[in-house]
Amino acid sequence: MAAGLRAVRRWGLVAAPPSLAFSRSASVVSTANNAQPNWLGVGLAFGTSAALWALLIKQHNEDVMEYERRKARAQCRQCS
Amino acid sequence: MVFLPDESRSLPPPPLLNKGTVWLGFAGWMSALMDNAFNHRPIFGAGVHRQILFATVGCFVGYHLVKRAEYKHAKVDRELFEYIRHHPVDFQ
Repeated sequence: MAAGLRAVRRWGLVAAPPSLAFSRSASVVSTANNAQPNWLGVGLAFGTSAALWALLIKQHNEDVMEYERRKARAQCRQCS
Repeated sequence: MVFLPDESRSLPPPPLLNKGTVWLGFAGWMSALMDNAFNHRPIFGAGVHRQILFATVGCFVGYHLVKRAEYKHAKVDRELFEYIRHHPVDFQ
């Protein structure tokens, strides 16, 4: 009977007591305090965003310049 | 494997606002909004720095992925046209 009950529980037909597999101990997790801004995190996030945008725009402009340069060189080779 | 070979720089670069940039930037922003929702914070009003950062990372990754995709497509096209050029009989 125990084996049958185990099988039925495994099929999800009978509720089992909640296991501790996915619970988190209070010594590991703490509730975040959203009332006081984490200014270091905010500064790092904005700084990283600004750096990434600068990097992206610089990369794009370099790509455009390199493409124009190669196109001009290819056309010059044809006319020479 | 190199992410972007040197010959990919001979291709016209995609505009800064393209499908990959917009879509992945939007996906990054959505994941910041979902992070707000999962942590019981106001969805739009909280963590604006986080929303901006995730959207920026999405745009950045999207731009480089689009460049690589365009390179791959151009390479396949070049090989296709080379094949057609070398086998004119098959394409009369």
